[in-house]
Amino acid sequence: MDSVFTNYQILCFALTAITAPFLAFVFSLIFKKLAGAFGIVSITVSLVFSAILFFSIWQKQTFHFSFSWIKLGNVSVNIGILLNDLSVIMLLLVSFVALLVHIYSVEYIRKEALRYRYFAYLSLFCFAMLCVVIADNLFILYAFWELVGFASYLLIGFWFTKKKAVQANKKAFIMNRVGDVGFLIGLMILLSQFHTLDIETIFGAKGIIHSSFIHNGNWVSPFASIPDYWLTIAGFCFLLGACAKSAQFPLHSWLPDAMQGPTAVSSLIHAATMVAAGVFLLLRVSPLFNDVVLTTMASIGLLTAFMAATIALTQNDIKKVLAFSTISQLGFMVLAVGVKDNAAAIFHLSTHAFFKCLLFLAAGMVIHQLHHVKDDTKTKFDEQDMRNMGGLARFMPITTVVFIIAALSLSGLPFTSGYLSKDAILISVFEWASERGGVYWLFPVVISITSWLTTFYIFRVIFKTFFGDFKLPALINKKEKELHLHDPNLWMKIPTIILAVFCFGFFFALNPFSLEGSWLHHAFNLEPHAGGLLHLFVPIYINALSLVLIASAYFIYAKNKIVFTNHKSWYYQFSYHQWYFNVLYDKKLVGLILWKAKITFWFDKHIIDGIVHLSAKAILVLAEIVDWVDTHIVDAFVNGLANIVSSWSVWFKSVQNGKLQHYFIWMLFIFLSFIIYKVII
Amino acid sequence: MIPLQHFLLIGAVLFSLGLFAVITRKNAIQILMGIELMINASILNMVAFGKYDKIDNTGQIFGLFIIILAAASVAVALVIIMNLYKRTQTIDPNQTKSLRG
Repeated sequence: MDSVFTNYQILCFALTAITAPFLAFVFSLIFKKLAGAFGIVSITVSLVFSAILFFSIWQKQTFHFSFSWIKLGNVSVNIGILLNDLSVIMLLLVSFVALLVHIYSVEYIRKEALRYRYFAYLSLFCFAMLCVVIADNLFILYAFWELVGFASYLLIGFWFTKKKAVQANKKAFIMNRVGDVGFLIGLMILLSQFHTLDIETIFGAKGIIHSSFIHNGNWVSPFASIPDYWLTIAGFCFLLGACAKSAQFPLHSWLPDAMQGPTAVSSLIHAATMVAAGVFLLLRVSPLFNDVVLTTMASIGLLTAFMAATIALTQNDIKKVLAFSTISQLGFMVLAVGVKDNAAAIFHLSTHAFFKCLLFLAAGMVIHQLHHVKDDTKTKFDEQDMRNMGGLARFMPITTVVFIIAALSLSGLPFTSGYLSKDAILISVFEWASERGGVYWLFPVVISITSWLTTFYIFRVIFKTFFGDFKLPALINKKEKELHLHDPNLWMKIPTIILAVFCFGFFFALNPFSLEGSWLHHAFNLEPHAGGLLHLFVPIYINALSLVLIASAYFIYAKNKIVFTNHKSWYYQFSYHQWYFNVLYDKKLVGLILWKAKITFWFDKHIIDGIVHLSAKAILVLAEIVDWVDTHIVDAFVNGLANIVSSWSVWFKSVQNGKLQHYFIWMLFIFLSFIIYKVII
Repeated sequence: MIPLQHFLLIGAVLFSLGLFAVITRKNAIQILMGIELMINASILNMVAFGKYDKIDNTGQIFGLFIIILAAASVAVALVIIMNLYKRTQTIDPNQTKSLRG
């Protein structure tokens, strides 16, 4: 043990880091006025302890603590903490981004009456997310996975008086449930196969998964042997869970709708951390996946990345573009896991968290300031619609600069963090395809196109929003100077500036052109890349065309030199309507389910209820019969007996009528009867 | 010598007459007289059978006892009838029901 801390101290640090947000959640609901302060203090505490844990664990040791929680037969469910390289980097990432978002939110949410709820929910989310990250056990991970989903549900629906927000949070929750079912099934397959859900025991370096093998069409583990297709099914189940959480095809359509929540929330949850939980899960269970699952995963990632990028090209809502950009980037990560380059996935997850969070926060600044304009001038316009913007660079220079830095990082231009991580993925995909050849060459081609699309759509946003003519004054009949548009105050500026600093490649590699020099990538990279031509070639051709695309975007959207007039064309409409997935889901799937519901309702009402009513009637008739029998036979028997007894008693009573001579006659009668009886017998 | 049967026959007739009087009369005094007749019928039987015990004469002695007892019981019965009359102003046993249980 070369750590400066004892195990006990590490455990205490980890527990403090996760408990602080939970306490903030509870106290925020009690002391409503101090909610923001509680949130910031608690997440600062988490960040400090995460940093301590990071520096004592990173690349040095794996800390694992657990105790038995539930025992069912020979299966025991443990509860505990697993801190390895993946956990601590996520821990640091989540708490750091969350702290910045908390600070940003103070200003963003200042005018809301229910802001204590906002901070309470945000703290609840941080608690759940940190627990997901350090859970040592898939069962605990699943529990907090659900809690993360629930916190996300609460935050999407924060403006619960908006009908769209309510619909969006329901949609997010329901679509996530589909994935959760997959996760749960996968969990049970693993439990039955390995008799434990402990991540380190199953997937660790000496885990059981490495001693299990496929033999004669059976998947054999030390505990059980089942047909080998269950291995594939288990892989698909976890993939489904990750797809829902990370908004991958076909369960992606909740994420754009989730943009109904406050922008700061979108930034933290739906860009930087929660959606990365799906990728995190894939990384945690990655030894489980066999070739079929991995290929499917790569295909899903590729399709999602491409699809979301094409959709992002035509959206007019600034947050929608960023949402589809997030989906697309998550597709990159899933693709990286699919081509077995976990290091690139983790690396891209980390860099993406910074630059995508920054993009959202900067977009939030624009929306926030335009909202102020809307309130001040008492006019009506959509403050998220890019068609109302343009030329904002003159009014909001800092916002513009940070947005451009983040956009450069997203496009993967040199000196940025995105350059390193995205090229890591591209190179892996190239190597993977060259190993397999044939139809697999589609992957690098499509992912390169997607990468260029990414550059184009994000610079479309920049030029539409920050450059060109300011279109809003004409729309609401005001002069520019009347709008008083300016950068927001320090609460919002400082977090974005800090994030912008982290978008540069220097924090991840001393030489910003060398992927191998990156400490983060290096830590997870078990098989170093072959190097050589690809390392030189891929960044150059990607970036060269990217620069061309940036220039063309400038001419199209800032200078209006080239004008697209084909808004009616099928491919524009196809992209604008988000590949018609919502239409498909709403009309076909929802329609089908409603139709089924109607049938079952009819069945319920007419058949089930009919049976129930019929049986009720039958029982009533039976009851009538029993009632009749009771009154006329049973009661009659009892009453008859009573009547006989009472009539006898009346008769016998009449014997004792007090008349002397009657007594005498009776005496005589009985005496004579006795005598006669004796004589006869 | 009068045969035993004659005694028994007269005793039986007396007893039956007494019984008839006890059952049918509406007057307590007449009932008392019926009882006396029945007692006398039984004394007659005692004395008649007494001829078979010449040594101890138990029949005769019992006869005397019964005469004394009958005299005592008549005295008691008359007092009861007097009291009944005082209470109810009648000596018809059918008019009183105070024996009723």
